[in-house]
Amino acid sequence: MNPKAAKFVLPALIVVVLAIPLFVTVPYYLHIMFMIFLLATMGLGWNLIGGYGAQLSLGHSVFFAIGAYTAVLFVVYKRLTPLVGGVIGMALAVVAAVIIGLPCFRLRGPYFALATIASGEITRTLLLHFKDFTAGANGVPIPFHGNDPLFLQFSSKAEYYYLALLLLAVVFMIVRTMERAKIGRYLAAVREDQDAAESLGVKTAWVKMAAFMLSAVIVAACGVLYAFTVGYIDPDSVASVDLSIQIAVVVIVGGIGTLWGPILGAAVIVLLTELTNMYLGAVRGGASLVLYGILLIVVILVKPNGLISLFDRFWPKKQVAHGTTA
Amino acid sequence: MVGGVYALVAVGLTLIFGVMKIVNFAQGEFVMLGMYVSWMLATFARISPYPGLLIVGAVMYALGYLVFKFLIIRVIGKPDEAFILLTLGLSIVLQNLVLVIFGAEYFSVDTPIKDKAFHMAGLSLSVPRLIAFVVALLMVTALTIMLNKTDLGRAMRATSESREVATLLGIDPIKCFTIAFAIGIVLAGIAGVLLTPMFYVFPGVGTLFNLTAFVVVVLGGMGSVPGALLGGLIIGVVEALSSTYISLDLAQLFTFLIFLAVLFLRPSGLFGEAAK
Repeated sequence: MNPKAAKFVLPALIVVVLAIPLFVTVPYYLHIMFMIFLLATMGLGWNLIGGYGAQLSLGHSVFFAIGAYTAVLFVVYKRLTPLVGGVIGMALAVVAAVIIGLPCFRLRGPYFALATIASGEITRTLLLHFKDFTAGANGVPIPFHGNDPLFLQFSSKAEYYYLALLLLAVVFMIVRTMERAKIGRYLAAVREDQDAAESLGVKTAWVKMAAFMLSAVIVAACGVLYAFTVGYIDPDSVASVDLSIQIAVVVIVGGIGTLWGPILGAAVIVLLTELTNMYLGAVRGGASLVLYGILLIVVILVKPNGLISLFDRFWPKKQVAHGTTA
Repeated sequence: MVGGVYALVAVGLTLIFGVMKIVNFAQGEFVMLGMYVSWMLATFARISPYPGLLIVGAVMYALGYLVFKFLIIRVIGKPDEAFILLTLGLSIVLQNLVLVIFGAEYFSVDTPIKDKAFHMAGLSLSVPRLIAFVVALLMVTALTIMLNKTDLGRAMRATSESREVATLLGIDPIKCFTIAFAIGIVLAGIAGVLLTPMFYVFPGVGTLFNLTAFVVVVLGGMGSVPGALLGGLIIGVVEALSSTYISLDLAQLFTFLIFLAVLFLRPSGLFGEAAK
């Protein structure tokens, strides 16, 4: 972004976003904004490995599900605050990232994508199978005890809105710092040419694993926040292939390997889906997903660097520096 | 015996992969389209699925051709990710377009042989499954002969070995890709027809086969036609055994565990030529 634009656009955007809940009180609209923030955060997390590291993961629902289920089950069985349960969930997501990453990073191209899909499906199958513990396909409702910040329970949507926004801001800063730090350059090297990077002394396996672990933590945190906002989780909503795909699509539509891409992608996809559901949903289900699929196809064919590249001419330099060759 | 159908879905996938080196994530959706075409023929034109095979085959060939000309051809030579995402997008569009047009209802096709079964040595074998298996076997044999004995098949194999050398020899790789892709889609459509007497027809039915087809293809070796047949049979048996003896909802788990084991231990599969 050139300095001039940054001076005005960014602060204005921040003020608007912070002020929205003061004027908008319709829970549905706040929920739409919440979903944009949440998907954008997940996209930023996915981007670490999927974008900067160019490892097309289609199994990130594993981490989302681990975060959500760990925090929720701790509340249900032990009445442990999700502030602790969530952290345990994020730690477990790191463990899962290592278990999945160790073997999968040896695979390349479509094999990696397929192996991550299989990891996601295994997680979903296990959640469905151990009914006594996870309630299987019935899902787990979170008992509501009224306003209780310690248990992430609020009677209005605004609190969740700000929590998601805060999470987005924190993750944004983390990713921005990483992008400029050594690990960001190493990841870029892995993306451009894994073998060359290795021969130059970059420990590609370690770099990819570190990015994968961080990306798992971020997505797990989103899972925790999602669970307590919606108040109910089941394997189909938190552990489906569709979710994994959506996380990836948000980034690809927005702009893979860029900082603002996931945010733009999340906004475009959530608004597109909600608007079509609002106007066409009554006619036939599925219309919004048709548009979502078409959007993905068009972006792949016409704008492989994502919709963010439409803005390239406003800040040409920045985009070159990030080199988004898909 | 459902393994025969898995094999048929997987053979189409493996043919596309073998010749073009790309994975079609929308293969299951073409199976689903085959089922819908077959259902429409049965419902509106009173053509039962088996005679309808030819019509479905022709429709699917045209569809495969068009998809290739308008979409696939644009990502040839691009990184794998572009192709994976393009076909993922295609699968989302197809599945939901069908949902928009036909709704979420489950349809079924009645055939006189639907509930017939052979009884033999205490085992019962339903006729549609037997037919599916035999047709799968025939298709695989025909495909193998075509790949090995005809000029077109040889051209395809040459293209798959090395696109550059094939071009030097006067083979048009794009033409090979088009035909391979279209045949792959026809095989998916035929699998769909054979499934209609056994499965409900609904928009999401393709996803049931998508993942299994990948497993079968990887197990048999990406690009290997006999491998896909054997892989299909193995997965069919594994699913039947694990759902009978262990737990119905864990059947898929074993399929995926086998899949991961093969990917990690022998990524080239049972019949694959050192691919990685």
